[in-house]
Amino acid sequence: MNRKKMYPAYMMVIPLLVFGVFFLLPSTVGFGYAFTDWSAYNTKLSFTGLSNFLDILQERTLTTAFVNTLIFAGVKTVVVTVLGFVFAMPLNKRMMKSTNLLRTVYFLPSVLSTLVVGLIFNAVFESRHGIMNGILMGTGLENLIQPWLGERWPAVFSICVAEVWRNIGYAVVITLAGLQSVNSDYIEAAKVDGASGFQLFRKITLPLIMPSVNVNILFSLIYGLKMFDLVYVMTGGGPGHDTETFGTLMMNEMASGRFSHSVAINMVFTVILVIVAILFQKYSERCEYVE
Amino acid sequence: MNKSERRKGILTGVCLWAFSIVFLYPIAMVVITSFKNKAEANILSVELPTEWLFENYSEVWEKGKIFRSAINSLQISVVSVILILCMAASLSFILVRRNTKGCRMISRLLTFGIIAPMAILPTVQLLKQLGIYGDKFSLIPLYAALYLPFSSMLFSSFIKGIPRELDEAAAMDGAKGIGLFARVVFPLLKPVTATTGILTFMWIWNDFQYPLYLLNSSANWTLPLSVYNFYGQFSRSWNLVCADMVLVSLPVVVVYFCAQKYVIEGMTAGAVKG
Repeated sequence: MNRKKMYPAYMMVIPLLVFGVFFLLPSTVGFGYAFTDWSAYNTKLSFTGLSNFLDILQERTLTTAFVNTLIFAGVKTVVVTVLGFVFAMPLNKRMMKSTNLLRTVYFLPSVLSTLVVGLIFNAVFESRHGIMNGILMGTGLENLIQPWLGERWPAVFSICVAEVWRNIGYAVVITLAGLQSVNSDYIEAAKVDGASGFQLFRKITLPLIMPSVNVNILFSLIYGLKMFDLVYVMTGGGPGHDTETFGTLMMNEMASGRFSHSVAINMVFTVILVIVAILFQKYSERCEYVE
Repeated sequence: MNKSERRKGILTGVCLWAFSIVFLYPIAMVVITSFKNKAEANILSVELPTEWLFENYSEVWEKGKIFRSAINSLQISVVSVILILCMAASLSFILVRRNTKGCRMISRLLTFGIIAPMAILPTVQLLKQLGIYGDKFSLIPLYAALYLPFSSMLFSSFIKGIPRELDEAAAMDGAKGIGLFARVVFPLLKPVTATTGILTFMWIWNDFQYPLYLLNSSANWTLPLSVYNFYGQFSRSWNLVCADMVLVSLPVVVVYFCAQKYVIEGMTAGAVKG
Protein backbone atom coordinates (compact mmCIF):
# COMPACT_ATOMS: atom_id res chain seq x y z
CA MET A 1 0.00 0.00 0.00
CA ASN A 2 1.39 3.42 -0.78
CA ARG A 3 2.09 6.06 1.80
CA LYS A 4 -0.70 8.38 0.75
CA LYS A 5 -3.33 5.74 1.41
CA MET A 6 -1.76 4.56 4.62
CA TYR A 7 -1.31 8.04 6.01
CA PRO A 8 -4.21 10.08 4.66
CA ALA A 9 -3.86 13.85 4.72
CA TYR A 10 -7.36 14.33 6.13
CA MET A 11 -6.03 13.34 9.55
CA MET A 12 -4.15 16.61 9.62
CA VAL A 13 -7.11 18.81 8.73
CA ILE A 14 -8.57 19.47 12.19
CA PRO A 15 -5.26 20.14 13.98
CA LEU A 16 -4.06 22.44 11.23
CA LEU A 17 -7.40 24.21 11.08
CA VAL A 18 -7.42 24.89 14.81
CA PHE A 19 -3.80 26.02 14.74
CA GLY A 20 -4.36 28.16 11.66
CA VAL A 21 -7.48 29.91 12.88
CA PHE A 22 -6.65 30.35 16.55
CA PHE A 23 -2.93 31.00 16.38
CA LEU A 24 -1.62 31.80 12.90
CA LEU A 25 -4.47 34.03 11.85
CA PRO A 26 -4.24 36.52 14.76
CA SER A 27 -0.43 36.44 14.63
CA THR A 28 -0.24 37.32 10.94
CA VAL A 29 -3.35 38.80 9.35
CA GLY A 30 -4.35 40.25 12.72
CA PHE A 31 -1.36 42.56 12.62
CA GLY A 32 -3.24 44.55 9.98
CA TYR A 33 -4.63 46.53 12.92
CA ALA A 34 -1.14 47.94 13.47
CA PHE A 35 -1.61 50.04 10.33
CA THR A 36 -4.91 51.61 11.41
CA ASP A 37 -6.02 54.26 13.87
CA TRP A 38 -7.98 51.77 15.99
CA SER A 39 -8.51 52.83 19.59
CA ALA A 40 -11.06 52.56 22.36
CA TYR A 41 -12.61 55.79 21.12
CA ASN A 42 -12.38 55.13 17.43
CA THR A 43 -13.92 52.00 16.01
CA LYS A 44 -14.27 53.26 12.45
CA LEU A 45 -10.91 52.17 11.21
CA SER A 46 -8.94 53.92 8.55
CA PHE A 47 -5.52 53.12 7.15
CA THR A 48 -2.71 55.21 8.67
CA GLY A 49 0.37 53.56 7.21
CA LEU A 50 3.39 53.42 9.43
CA SER A 51 2.41 56.24 11.77
CA ASN A 52 1.81 53.88 14.71
CA PHE A 53 5.31 52.50 14.38
CA LEU A 54 6.79 56.00 14.25
CA ASP A 55 4.76 56.89 17.34
CA ILE A 56 5.90 53.95 19.42
CA LEU A 57 9.53 54.38 18.38
CA GLN A 58 9.44 57.89 19.78
CA GLU A 59 8.07 56.79 23.13
CA ARG A 60 10.73 56.38 25.76
CA THR A 61 8.89 53.41 27.26
CA LEU A 62 9.62 51.26 24.22
CA THR A 63 13.36 51.65 24.78
CA THR A 64 12.91 50.86 28.48
CA ALA A 65 10.84 47.80 27.62
CA PHE A 66 13.40 46.67 25.07
CA VAL A 67 16.29 47.01 27.52
CA ASN A 68 14.37 45.32 30.34
CA THR A 69 13.24 42.46 28.12
CA LEU A 70 16.85 41.85 27.04
CA ILE A 71 18.07 41.96 30.65
CA PHE A 72 15.40 39.55 31.88
CA ALA A 73 15.93 37.11 29.03
CA GLY A 74 19.74 37.38 29.11
CA VAL A 75 20.16 37.02 32.86
CA LYS A 76 17.66 34.22 33.04
CA THR A 77 19.23 32.28 30.16
CA VAL A 78 22.78 32.52 31.46
CA VAL A 79 22.02 31.86 35.12
CA VAL A 80 19.53 29.08 34.50
CA THR A 81 21.75 27.28 31.99
CA VAL A 82 24.81 27.48 34.24
CA LEU A 83 22.92 26.42 37.36
CA GLY A 84 21.30 23.64 35.36
CA PHE A 85 24.79 22.30 34.86
CA VAL A 86 25.97 22.88 38.40
CA PHE A 87 23.10 20.84 39.82
CA ALA A 88 22.74 18.24 37.10
CA MET A 89 26.37 17.09 37.22
CA PRO A 90 26.33 15.80 40.82
CA LEU A 91 22.76 14.53 40.46
CA ASN A 92 23.82 12.48 37.44
CA LYS A 93 26.65 10.72 39.30
CA ARG A 94 24.12 9.16 41.67
CA MET A 95 26.55 9.49 44.53
CA MET A 96 23.74 9.81 47.06
CA LYS A 97 20.65 7.88 47.91
CA SER A 98 18.51 10.99 47.88
CA THR A 99 19.13 11.91 44.22
CA ASN A 100 15.56 11.40 43.11
CA LEU A 101 14.13 13.28 46.05
CA LEU A 102 16.45 16.21 45.37
CA ARG A 103 15.42 16.26 41.74
CA THR A 104 11.80 16.41 42.84
CA VAL A 105 12.48 19.30 45.21
CA TYR A 106 14.40 21.30 42.62
CA PHE A 107 11.59 20.87 40.12
CA LEU A 108 8.86 21.83 42.59
CA PRO A 109 8.86 25.60 41.82
CA SER A 110 8.37 24.83 38.13
CA VAL A 111 5.06 23.19 38.97
CA LEU A 112 3.60 26.31 40.56
CA SER A 113 1.64 28.92 38.63
CA THR A 114 3.68 31.97 37.63
CA LEU A 115 1.05 33.96 39.44
CA VAL A 116 1.73 32.10 42.68
CA VAL A 117 5.49 32.51 42.20
CA GLY A 118 4.98 36.23 41.69
CA LEU A 119 2.95 36.51 44.88
CA ILE A 120 5.51 34.46 46.83
CA PHE A 121 8.26 36.82 45.74
CA ASN A 122 6.11 39.84 46.49
CA ALA A 123 6.21 38.50 50.03
CA VAL A 124 9.94 37.71 49.92
CA PHE A 125 10.81 41.22 48.74
CA GLU A 126 8.18 42.97 50.84
CA SER A 127 9.84 46.06 52.24
CA ARG A 128 8.93 45.95 55.92
CA HIS A 129 8.71 42.26 56.88
CA GLY A 130 9.98 40.42 53.80
CA ILE A 131 12.56 37.65 54.02
CA MET A 132 15.09 39.52 51.89
CA ASN A 133 15.32 42.54 54.15
CA GLY A 134 15.22 40.22 57.15
CA ILE A 135 18.30 38.35 55.89
CA LEU A 136 20.12 41.62 55.23
CA MET A 137 19.29 42.80 58.72
CA GLY A 138 20.52 39.55 60.25
CA THR A 139 23.81 39.54 58.34
CA GLY A 140 24.72 43.11 59.14
CA LEU A 141 24.13 44.45 55.65
CA GLU A 142 21.57 46.99 56.82
CA ASN A 143 22.66 49.55 54.27
CA LEU A 144 21.35 47.30 51.48
CA ILE A 145 17.86 47.25 52.95
CA GLN A 146 15.41 48.89 50.58
CA PRO A 147 11.92 48.75 49.13
CA TRP A 148 12.91 46.12 46.56
CA LEU A 149 9.98 46.56 44.22
CA GLY A 150 9.88 50.34 44.54
CA GLU A 151 12.85 51.30 42.38
CA ARG A 152 13.98 50.29 38.94
CA TRP A 153 17.16 48.27 39.37
CA PRO A 154 16.23 46.56 42.65
CA ALA A 155 12.90 45.65 41.06
CA VAL A 156 14.59 44.28 37.94
CA PHE A 157 16.86 42.25 40.21
CA SER A 158 13.92 40.92 42.22
CA ILE A 159 12.05 39.85 39.11
CA CYS A 160 15.17 38.11 37.79
CA VAL A 161 15.52 36.18 41.05
CA ALA A 162 11.91 35.03 40.89
CA GLU A 163 12.20 34.00 37.24
CA VAL A 164 15.41 32.03 37.85
CA TRP A 165 13.88 30.36 40.91
CA ARG A 166 10.94 29.22 38.83
CA ASN A 167 13.00 27.83 35.96
CA ILE A 168 15.98 26.02 37.48
CA GLY A 169 13.95 22.82 37.67
CA TYR A 170 13.40 22.67 33.92
CA ALA A 171 17.06 23.38 33.23
CA VAL A 172 18.23 20.68 35.64
CA VAL A 173 15.89 18.10 34.13
CA ILE A 174 16.87 18.84 30.54
CA THR A 175 20.61 18.91 31.29
CA LEU A 176 20.26 15.71 33.28
CA ALA A 177 18.66 14.08 30.26
CA GLY A 178 21.61 15.10 28.15
CA LEU A 179 24.06 13.72 30.69
CA GLN A 180 22.22 10.43 30.97
CA SER A 181 22.36 9.90 27.23
CA VAL A 182 26.19 10.17 27.26
CA ASN A 183 27.60 6.71 26.67
CA SER A 184 29.91 5.92 29.58
CA ASP A 185 32.27 4.05 27.22
CA TYR A 186 33.52 7.37 25.88
CA ILE A 187 34.29 8.57 29.39
CA GLU A 188 36.06 5.31 30.26
CA ALA A 189 38.09 5.43 27.04
CA ALA A 190 39.18 9.00 27.73
CA LYS A 191 40.10 8.07 31.30
CA VAL A 192 42.28 5.26 30.01
CA ASP A 193 43.99 7.78 27.75
CA GLY A 194 44.75 9.81 30.84
CA ALA A 195 42.26 12.68 30.52
CA SER A 196 41.88 14.79 33.65
CA GLY A 197 38.53 15.73 35.19
CA PHE A 198 38.28 19.09 33.48
CA GLN A 199 39.53 17.81 30.14
CA LEU A 200 36.97 15.05 30.38
CA PHE A 201 34.23 17.60 30.82
CA ARG A 202 35.49 20.02 28.22
CA LYS A 203 36.32 17.54 25.46
CA ILE A 204 33.89 14.68 25.98
CA THR A 205 30.86 15.52 28.10
CA LEU A 206 30.20 19.06 26.93
CA PRO A 207 30.22 18.37 23.17
CA LEU A 208 28.01 15.32 23.66
CA ILE A 209 25.36 17.16 25.63
CA MET A 210 25.48 20.33 23.53
CA PRO A 211 22.10 19.51 21.93
CA SER A 212 20.33 19.55 25.30
CA VAL A 213 22.21 22.64 26.39
CA ASN A 214 21.00 24.31 23.22
CA VAL A 215 17.42 23.26 23.93
CA ASN A 216 17.84 24.81 27.37
CA ILE A 217 19.18 28.05 25.99
CA LEU A 218 16.54 28.32 23.30
CA PHE A 219 13.60 27.75 25.63
CA SER A 220 15.01 30.06 28.31
CA LEU A 221 15.60 32.74 25.75
CA ILE A 222 12.22 32.51 24.03
CA TYR A 223 10.19 32.32 27.25
CA GLY A 224 12.44 34.93 28.88
CA LEU A 225 11.72 37.35 26.07
CA LYS A 226 8.01 36.61 26.36
CA MET A 227 7.99 37.26 30.11
CA PHE A 228 4.74 38.82 31.18
CA ASP A 229 2.87 37.28 34.13
CA LEU A 230 5.66 37.59 36.65
CA VAL A 231 6.33 41.26 35.90
CA TYR A 232 2.62 41.99 35.80
CA VAL A 233 2.07 40.48 39.24
CA MET A 234 5.20 41.84 40.91
CA THR A 235 5.38 45.42 39.62
CA GLY A 236 2.78 45.83 36.86
CA GLY A 237 5.56 47.44 34.81
CA GLY A 238 6.12 50.07 37.49
CA PRO A 239 7.36 52.05 39.32
CA GLY A 240 6.45 54.49 36.58
CA HIS A 241 7.31 52.43 33.52
CA ASP A 242 10.67 51.30 34.86
CA THR A 243 10.22 47.53 34.73
CA GLU A 244 8.05 47.42 31.63
CA THR A 245 8.66 44.52 29.21
CA PHE A 246 7.18 44.05 25.77
CA GLY A 247 4.50 41.88 27.34
CA THR A 248 3.39 44.38 29.97
CA LEU A 249 3.72 47.28 27.56
CA MET A 250 1.21 45.66 25.22
CA MET A 251 -1.11 45.10 28.14
CA ASN A 252 -0.78 48.66 29.44
CA GLU A 253 -1.28 50.24 26.01
CA MET A 254 -4.34 48.07 25.58
CA ALA A 255 -5.69 49.01 29.00
CA SER A 256 -5.30 52.70 28.20
CA GLY A 257 -7.26 52.26 24.99
CA ARG A 258 -4.47 52.74 22.45
CA PHE A 259 -5.33 49.55 20.61
CA SER A 260 -3.41 50.10 17.39
CA HIS A 261 -0.27 50.99 19.34
CA SER A 262 -0.60 47.79 21.29
CA VAL A 263 -0.88 45.76 18.10
CA ALA A 264 2.11 47.58 16.59
CA ILE A 265 4.22 46.73 19.65
CA ASN A 266 2.96 43.17 19.44
CA MET A 267 4.10 42.98 15.82
CA VAL A 268 7.55 44.44 16.49
CA PHE A 269 7.89 41.98 19.35
CA THR A 270 6.95 39.01 17.16
CA VAL A 271 9.47 40.05 14.51
CA ILE A 272 12.23 40.36 17.13
CA LEU A 273 11.45 36.90 18.51
CA VAL A 274 11.47 35.30 15.08
CA ILE A 275 14.83 36.93 14.29
CA VAL A 276 16.30 35.75 17.60
CA ALA A 277 15.06 32.22 16.95
CA ILE A 278 16.50 32.15 13.43
CA LEU A 279 19.86 33.49 14.59
CA PHE A 280 19.93 30.92 17.36
CA GLN A 281 19.10 28.14 14.93
CA LYS A 282 22.06 29.20 12.76
CA TYR A 283 24.35 29.29 15.79
CA SER A 284 23.31 25.90 17.13
CA GLU A 285 23.59 24.24 13.71
CA ARG A 286 27.12 25.53 13.49
CA CYS A 287 28.17 24.36 16.92
CA GLU A 288 26.66 20.93 16.39
CA TYR A 289 28.51 20.68 13.09
CA VAL A 290 31.85 21.37 14.77
CA GLU A 291 31.47 18.24 16.86
CA MET B 1 32.97 2.86 45.89
CA ASN B 2 36.12 3.76 47.79
CA LYS B 3 36.41 5.94 50.84
CA SER B 4 37.30 9.26 49.21
CA GLU B 5 34.50 8.89 46.66
CA ARG B 6 32.02 8.18 49.40
CA ARG B 7 33.17 11.24 51.31
CA LYS B 8 32.79 13.33 48.15
CA GLY B 9 29.29 11.94 47.71
CA ILE B 10 28.24 12.90 51.20
CA LEU B 11 29.71 16.36 50.76
CA THR B 12 27.83 17.05 47.51
CA GLY B 13 24.70 15.66 49.10
CA VAL B 14 25.02 18.11 51.96
CA CYS B 15 25.63 21.00 49.58
CA LEU B 16 22.67 20.12 47.36
CA TRP B 17 20.37 19.75 50.34
CA ALA B 18 21.60 23.02 51.78
CA PHE B 19 20.77 24.72 48.51
CA SER B 20 17.32 23.15 48.41
CA ILE B 21 16.40 25.52 51.25
CA VAL B 22 16.23 28.23 48.59
CA PHE B 23 13.35 26.32 47.02
CA LEU B 24 11.70 25.01 50.15
CA TYR B 25 11.84 28.06 52.41
CA PRO B 26 9.47 30.31 50.40
CA ILE B 27 7.04 27.43 49.94
CA ALA B 28 7.15 26.60 53.65
CA MET B 29 6.57 30.26 54.42
CA VAL B 30 3.38 30.29 52.35
CA VAL B 31 2.04 27.11 53.92
CA ILE B 32 2.77 28.24 57.48
CA THR B 33 1.51 31.78 56.94
CA SER B 34 -1.77 30.38 55.65
CA PHE B 35 -2.56 29.15 59.19
CA LYS B 36 -1.70 32.37 61.03
CA ASN B 37 -3.92 35.19 62.18
CA LYS B 38 -3.76 38.46 60.31
CA ALA B 39 -1.34 40.20 62.67
CA GLU B 40 1.13 37.31 62.80
CA ALA B 41 0.93 36.82 59.05
CA ASN B 42 2.25 40.33 58.54
CA ILE B 43 5.66 39.08 59.60
CA LEU B 44 6.52 36.92 56.63
CA SER B 45 8.55 34.12 58.15
CA VAL B 46 8.49 30.39 58.81
CA GLU B 47 7.89 30.97 62.52
CA LEU B 48 5.07 28.68 63.61
CA PRO B 49 1.77 30.37 64.46
CA THR B 50 0.75 30.60 68.12
CA GLU B 51 -2.61 29.25 67.10
CA TRP B 52 -3.35 27.20 63.96
CA LEU B 53 -6.30 28.84 62.22
CA PHE B 54 -7.80 26.26 59.89
CA GLU B 55 -10.78 28.54 59.41
CA ASN B 56 -8.63 30.72 57.13
CA TYR B 57 -9.26 28.07 54.52
CA SER B 58 -13.02 28.07 54.88
CA GLU B 59 -13.02 31.84 54.76
CA VAL B 60 -10.99 31.84 51.53
CA TRP B 61 -13.08 29.02 50.10
CA GLU B 62 -16.16 31.24 50.37
CA LYS B 63 -14.80 34.73 49.77
CA GLY B 64 -12.47 33.62 46.99
CA LYS B 65 -15.21 31.71 45.18
CA ILE B 66 -12.80 28.80 44.98
CA PHE B 67 -15.30 26.13 44.10
CA ARG B 68 -16.75 27.93 41.10
CA SER B 69 -13.29 28.84 39.78
CA ALA B 70 -12.00 25.31 40.34
CA ILE B 71 -14.84 23.92 38.24
CA ASN B 72 -14.04 26.42 35.48
CA SER B 73 -10.35 25.56 35.60
CA LEU B 74 -11.07 21.86 35.57
CA GLN B 75 -13.45 22.06 32.60
CA ILE B 76 -11.11 24.21 30.56
CA SER B 77 -7.95 22.26 31.27
CA VAL B 78 -9.37 18.74 30.91
CA VAL B 79 -11.14 19.42 27.62
CA SER B 80 -8.14 21.32 26.22
CA VAL B 81 -5.74 18.53 27.16
CA ILE B 82 -7.88 15.84 25.53
CA LEU B 83 -8.17 17.94 22.39
CA ILE B 84 -4.42 18.64 22.32
CA LEU B 85 -3.53 14.96 22.76
CA CYS B 86 -5.81 13.77 19.96
CA MET B 87 -4.68 16.51 17.60
CA ALA B 88 -0.97 16.36 18.34
CA ALA B 89 -0.81 12.55 18.17
CA SER B 90 -2.58 12.21 14.83
CA LEU B 91 -0.85 15.23 13.29
CA SER B 92 2.64 14.07 14.27
CA PHE B 93 1.87 10.55 13.09
CA ILE B 94 1.07 11.77 9.58
CA LEU B 95 3.89 14.34 9.51
CA VAL B 96 6.54 11.84 10.60
CA ARG B 97 5.38 8.98 8.40
CA ARG B 98 4.74 10.94 5.23
CA ASN B 99 7.80 13.14 5.63
CA THR B 100 7.27 14.97 2.34
CA LYS B 101 8.42 18.49 1.59
CA GLY B 102 5.00 19.83 2.51
CA CYS B 103 5.10 18.02 5.83
CA ARG B 104 8.45 19.52 6.69
CA MET B 105 7.03 22.95 5.82
CA ILE B 106 4.15 22.35 8.22
CA SER B 107 6.62 21.37 10.93
CA ARG B 108 8.47 24.61 10.42
CA LEU B 109 5.21 26.54 10.60
CA LEU B 110 4.48 24.83 13.92
CA THR B 111 7.82 26.09 15.26
CA PHE B 112 6.50 29.60 14.69
CA GLY B 113 3.79 28.70 17.20
CA ILE B 114 6.41 28.09 19.87
CA ILE B 115 8.33 31.26 19.11
CA ALA B 116 5.70 33.93 18.47
CA PRO B 117 4.07 35.67 21.43
CA MET B 118 0.31 35.77 21.75
CA ALA B 119 -1.29 38.41 19.52
CA ILE B 120 -3.68 39.68 22.15
CA LEU B 121 -5.94 42.20 20.48
CA PRO B 122 -6.24 40.35 17.17
CA THR B 123 -7.25 37.28 19.19
CA VAL B 124 -9.86 39.28 21.06
CA GLN B 125 -11.23 40.54 17.73
CA LEU B 126 -11.28 37.02 16.32
CA LEU B 127 -13.27 35.76 19.30
CA LYS B 128 -15.68 38.68 18.95
CA GLN B 129 -16.18 37.87 15.27
CA LEU B 130 -16.91 34.27 16.18
CA GLY B 131 -19.28 35.48 18.89
CA ILE B 132 -17.53 33.61 21.70
CA TYR B 133 -15.59 36.43 23.34
CA GLY B 134 -15.83 36.27 27.14
CA ASP B 135 -17.03 32.68 27.10
CA LYS B 136 -14.83 30.41 29.19
CA PHE B 137 -14.97 27.71 26.53
CA SER B 138 -13.38 30.08 24.03
CA LEU B 139 -10.09 29.37 25.83
CA ILE B 140 -10.18 25.72 24.78
CA PRO B 141 -9.38 26.11 21.06
CA LEU B 142 -6.87 28.84 21.97
CA TYR B 143 -4.97 26.56 24.33
CA ALA B 144 -5.21 23.74 21.82
CA ALA B 145 -3.60 25.96 19.18
CA LEU B 146 -1.03 27.31 21.63
CA TYR B 147 0.25 23.96 22.85
CA LEU B 148 -0.16 21.98 19.63
CA PRO B 149 3.39 22.79 18.41
CA PHE B 150 5.19 21.74 21.59
CA SER B 151 3.06 18.62 21.98
CA SER B 152 3.65 17.66 18.35
CA MET B 153 7.36 18.02 18.94
CA LEU B 154 7.21 15.50 21.80
CA PHE B 155 5.00 13.11 19.84
CA SER B 156 7.08 13.38 16.66
CA SER B 157 10.33 12.44 18.32
CA PHE B 158 8.61 9.48 19.96
CA ILE B 159 6.93 8.27 16.77
CA LYS B 160 10.26 8.42 14.92
CA GLY B 161 11.40 5.65 17.27
CA ILE B 162 8.59 3.29 16.24
CA PRO B 163 9.63 1.22 13.21
CA ARG B 164 7.58 1.70 10.09
CA GLU B 165 7.60 -2.06 9.45
CA LEU B 166 4.97 -2.27 12.14
CA ASP B 167 2.61 -0.08 10.10
CA GLU B 168 3.32 -2.14 7.02
CA ALA B 169 2.55 -5.38 8.81
CA ALA B 170 -0.75 -3.92 9.96
CA ALA B 171 -1.41 -2.61 6.46
CA MET B 172 -1.15 -6.19 5.15
CA ASP B 173 -4.16 -6.94 7.30
CA GLY B 174 -5.97 -4.02 5.70
CA ALA B 175 -5.49 -1.37 8.38
CA LYS B 176 -4.98 2.20 7.18
CA GLY B 177 -5.55 5.79 8.17
CA ILE B 178 -7.41 6.33 11.42
CA GLY B 179 -7.86 2.61 11.99
CA LEU B 180 -4.15 1.95 11.67
CA PHE B 181 -3.37 4.87 13.94
CA ALA B 182 -5.95 4.17 16.60
CA ARG B 183 -5.52 0.40 16.86
CA VAL B 184 -1.84 -0.13 16.11
CA VAL B 185 0.19 3.01 16.74
CA PHE B 186 -1.65 4.94 19.43
CA PRO B 187 -1.43 2.14 22.04
CA LEU B 188 2.36 2.37 21.71
CA LEU B 189 2.30 6.09 22.47
CA LYS B 190 1.19 5.73 26.07
CA PRO B 191 4.35 7.13 27.71
CA VAL B 192 4.55 10.23 25.54
CA THR B 193 0.79 10.73 25.85
CA ALA B 194 1.11 10.71 29.61
CA THR B 195 4.00 13.17 29.59
CA THR B 196 2.34 15.58 27.18
CA GLY B 197 -0.98 15.29 28.95
CA ILE B 198 0.43 16.08 32.38
CA LEU B 199 2.67 18.91 31.21
CA THR B 200 -0.05 20.65 29.23
CA PHE B 201 -2.51 20.10 32.06
CA MET B 202 -0.16 21.83 34.49
CA TRP B 203 0.51 24.70 32.10
CA ILE B 204 -3.13 25.32 31.28
CA TRP B 205 -4.25 24.98 34.90
CA ASN B 206 -1.56 27.47 35.96
CA ASP B 207 -2.00 29.89 33.08
CA PHE B 208 -2.82 33.41 34.04
CA GLN B 209 -2.33 35.39 30.84
CA TYR B 210 -5.18 34.10 28.64
CA PRO B 211 -7.87 34.29 31.34
CA LEU B 212 -6.65 37.77 32.28
CA TYR B 213 -7.13 39.04 28.75
CA LEU B 214 -10.15 37.08 27.72
CA LEU B 215 -12.44 36.43 30.68
CA ASN B 216 -14.05 39.52 32.08
CA SER B 217 -17.01 38.14 34.00
CA SER B 218 -16.10 36.77 37.42
CA ALA B 219 -18.42 33.78 36.88
CA ASN B 220 -15.96 32.54 34.26
CA TRP B 221 -12.75 33.10 36.17
CA THR B 222 -10.23 30.30 36.46
CA LEU B 223 -8.38 29.65 39.72
CA PRO B 224 -5.26 31.74 39.06
CA LEU B 225 -7.40 34.69 38.01
CA SER B 226 -9.55 34.38 41.11
CA VAL B 227 -6.40 34.38 43.25
CA TYR B 228 -5.13 37.47 41.49
CA ASN B 229 -8.35 39.33 42.16
CA PHE B 230 -8.46 38.03 45.70
CA TYR B 231 -4.95 39.40 46.20
CA GLY B 232 -6.11 42.76 44.88
CA GLN B 233 -8.89 42.82 47.46
CA PHE B 234 -7.13 41.32 50.46
CA SER B 235 -3.49 42.28 49.89
CA ARG B 236 -3.24 43.30 53.55
CA SER B 237 -4.23 39.82 54.75
CA TRP B 238 -1.28 37.64 53.84
CA ASN B 239 -2.76 34.72 55.78
CA LEU B 240 -5.78 34.59 53.47
CA VAL B 241 -3.75 35.20 50.32
CA CYS B 242 -1.41 32.36 51.31
CA ALA B 243 -4.31 30.01 52.00
CA ASP B 244 -5.67 30.90 48.57
CA MET B 245 -2.29 30.17 46.99
CA VAL B 246 -2.11 26.79 48.71
CA LEU B 247 -5.57 25.90 47.45
CA VAL B 248 -4.73 26.73 43.81
CA SER B 249 -1.40 24.95 43.89
CA LEU B 250 -2.54 21.82 45.68
CA PRO B 251 -4.11 20.09 42.65
CA VAL B 252 -1.07 20.57 40.38
CA VAL B 253 1.35 19.61 43.12
CA VAL B 254 -0.62 16.42 43.78
CA VAL B 255 -0.72 15.63 40.06
CA TYR B 256 3.01 16.28 39.88
CA PHE B 257 3.86 14.01 42.81
CA CYS B 258 1.68 11.19 41.50
CA ALA B 259 2.95 11.43 37.95
CA GLN B 260 6.45 12.81 38.27
CA LYS B 261 7.88 9.74 36.63
CA TYR B 262 6.16 10.83 33.42
CA VAL B 263 6.91 14.51 33.86
CA ILE B 264 10.63 14.28 34.42
CA GLU B 265 11.57 11.13 32.57
CA GLY B 266 9.20 11.75 29.71
CA MET B 267 10.40 15.27 29.21
CA THR B 268 14.00 14.21 29.22
CA ALA B 269 13.35 11.42 26.75
CA GLY B 270 11.34 13.46 24.30
CA ALA B 271 11.94 17.16 24.33
CA VAL B 272 15.66 17.03 24.20
CA LYS B 273 16.12 14.83 21.22
CA GLY B 274 13.31 16.62 19.35
